[in-house]
Amino acid sequence: MLDIKPIFNAIRRSKIGAVLLLLQIALTMAIVSNAAFMINDHVSYLREDTGFPEKEIFSLSVMTFGKDRSLSQQAELDETMIRSLPGVIDASLTQAIPLSGGGSSSSVRLKPSPEKSKSISVPYYYMDEHGLNTFGIKLLEGRNFRPEEIIVGNDFTGNGPNTVIVSQALADALFPDGGALGETVYLKNRPLEIIGIVGTMKSPWPNGMRDKTTAIVPFMDVQNYQHILVRTDKTERANIMANIEQNMLDVYDKRVIINVDGLDKTKENYDSTDVLMMRMLIVLVVILLLVTALGIFGLTQFNISKRTKQIGTRRALGARKSAIVRYFLVENTMVCIAGLLIGGIAAVVLGDVMMKSYSISSLEPEFILGTAVFIFVMSIVAVIFPAMRAANISPSIATRSI
Amino acid sequence: MFLHYIDLSWRSIKRTPVISFLMVFAIAIGIGLTMTSLSVYHMMSMDPIPHKSGAIFYPQLNIMDDGSEWHSSDNLPYQLTYQDAVNLYNADIPVPKSPSFRSGFSVHLNSPDVKPTMEPARLVNREFFTIFDRPFIYGAPWSLNSQDTHEYVAVISEKINNRLFAGENSVGQHIYLDNNSYRIVGVTANWKHHVKYYDVNNGAFNSSEQLYIPFGIGALEEITTWGNLNGWKHEALKNYQDLMHSEHVWVQFWVQLNSEDEKQQFTNFLMSYMEDQREKGRFNRQTLEYKLRNVTEWLEYNNVVSEDNRILVGLSFMFLLVCVSNILGLLLAKFLKRAPEVGVRRALGASKRHIFAQHIVEVSVIGLAGGLLGIVIAQIGLWGIRVTNSYYDALATMDVSMLLAAPIIALVASFLAGLYPAWLVCRTQPAIYLKSQ
Repeated sequence: MLDIKPIFNAIRRSKIGAVLLLLQIALTMAIVSNAAFMINDHVSYLREDTGFPEKEIFSLSVMTFGKDRSLSQQAELDETMIRSLPGVIDASLTQAIPLSGGGSSSSVRLKPSPEKSKSISVPYYYMDEHGLNTFGIKLLEGRNFRPEEIIVGNDFTGNGPNTVIVSQALADALFPDGGALGETVYLKNRPLEIIGIVGTMKSPWPNGMRDKTTAIVPFMDVQNYQHILVRTDKTERANIMANIEQNMLDVYDKRVIINVDGLDKTKENYDSTDVLMMRMLIVLVVILLLVTALGIFGLTQFNISKRTKQIGTRRALGARKSAIVRYFLVENTMVCIAGLLIGGIAAVVLGDVMMKSYSISSLEPEFILGTAVFIFVMSIVAVIFPAMRAANISPSIATRSI
Repeated sequence: MFLHYIDLSWRSIKRTPVISFLMVFAIAIGIGLTMTSLSVYHMMSMDPIPHKSGAIFYPQLNIMDDGSEWHSSDNLPYQLTYQDAVNLYNADIPVPKSPSFRSGFSVHLNSPDVKPTMEPARLVNREFFTIFDRPFIYGAPWSLNSQDTHEYVAVISEKINNRLFAGENSVGQHIYLDNNSYRIVGVTANWKHHVKYYDVNNGAFNSSEQLYIPFGIGALEEITTWGNLNGWKHEALKNYQDLMHSEHVWVQFWVQLNSEDEKQQFTNFLMSYMEDQREKGRFNRQTLEYKLRNVTEWLEYNNVVSEDNRILVGLSFMFLLVCVSNILGLLLAKFLKRAPEVGVRRALGASKRHIFAQHIVEVSVIGLAGGLLGIVIAQIGLWGIRVTNSYYDALATMDVSMLLAAPIIALVASFLAGLYPAWLVCRTQPAIYLKSQ
């Protein structure tokens, strides 16, 4: 019905055109399905919720060189000053800025150090009772820190805090069967009671392995280089950020205020290489598809110009226009399906090679399938216009000699 | 003959402008994309100090007791402990060596006119400048004497010198780092590098520090690192003294070893040092382990070239292959259409070789044009990268070798595409075409 056999024979007689088309489709298939998979990976990471209202929060870093004040007393004064600014919701000192790529982590264990036990690498934030409100993160279970639970000092293990608030992800990782609230865990060999559990609260490394298993520890070890996190009304943030340096220096001027950045900006910086890679992949895929579509278009044109006479003859012998169009569509479909099959195998092999040498998860089959469908539709579109023109070849052409 | 072929190809290109343009464009797009990713890759992986990258070494010691593991590929810590760095520096081997770590200060002149700024700084010993060939505009590194007597001295960069001293010779002047005064002994030229190879643990493509002070000041002023500080066992670190004597690693170390002899001497020392330390109760392990990597090996070991970038280079070469197969199709169409003409030329006495050469020249002209246009496209691509990502400022550029590589890759690609069509067309039988006309 579809005249597959004669078409196949025709292909066999002019192999090179078909082989080229096949090769192109196979390569495109292999590249596009892998690239699409990687793009999807990047996009889903970039869209992931960090837990923070990024547009309401900004951070600043303070480098104190004056030695005439106690750092922790000064920190108290700064916090009070910032919290009193109009438009500020809350502020808290922290030793690590979320989503920034810099912070601290340590292993959290179920038993103290020499004993064997489950151990999970945990990025943590040292913050006081204002921490949760500054982060803009709600408690799911338990309670916030009480002011008397905040420990100021530098001897964490000997004289540190006794409580901790953990993310749901960490609670689940430590206690898969639930019931984490009220349990005791060990951080730097100090027993801490889990008093609260929060939802998503990403770490300073949102794109790493340790992105969600985070904790807030009520400890203040104020250094001469210190970060402060501030949450404001969304509309007031720019204004407050513009004045914060002067406000801070007015309180005490033997220090430098740097890196006053919105949390959305911080994340943007952290993600910039991901975004770049994603854009380059998108450019590559789009141009590749265009080039392949043009290639199919060109080859069909070439085939038609070679077969003008043959088409004219067929028309003269009574073939309908639709038969001519169908001929080219079927021919293209046959080559395309062969190309997609080879390309599908190549895609799996390529994905496998990349998975082995790089930290990429294995290619999911729906991406191969999706790409195949897309390339197939695209090839039909690229063929149909030249084929329709071919159908308009006049039968009289068959009677002419050249 | 060659000029004649070029003339012929020009005529042929003019005769089919659309198809010729499509071919040039296909090569240009392929080259443009490939060169964009290849240039970034090239800059990332380029030898940062070609004349001595094989003579500068980074020692690593396995300080961990048996049973502990490090997150590196060969289970060795990336940095040294403070005590090991000091001991290695004090080793009685007359080669330039220096510990180093990154920190930072607020810099000011103790006057209200100049607002304090925050500057990253590097704590090194004087040999650091020798090892990395740092040129001085004014002055010189601090003397051995000032280093030994812990004098507060500093080397500043041209950039800071321009800002604070308007580019004048500032040697002998004083500068304040936090609240200590340091005497400036030298001004170095700004350090421009694609890869911050002497310290990859703060981001391999970050900019260099603008301030250098003696390593020994670190202990006096209790200066902490701005880089990674990692431990492998539980240690209570209550103060700076604890940190200095701990098994935490946070100091980098470089040594220049010019000959195999010196290298041998240094490795012997490392071995005997570790044995000595084991007797004192450290290095509690079965086999003592160390590694001495030169700059090139060190960058390789630290995976400085991101894997994203390798993938992109691979994908763009595959993309170029698609372009090549496209051009192959177009060339086939073009050359075969010309078969009657070739038949006549063959009948008039042109040899197969001549026909082949003529067509290859034509393909090369197209390839070269595509390569040149490809450079333009690559420049646009690189500009796009620089605009969207300032981290790649120094990396997203084409140097001379890449500018040369572009037309060469284009030529090879077009050659690959043209080989089969040219071979096909040179086999044309004159008889067929003479008959039909």
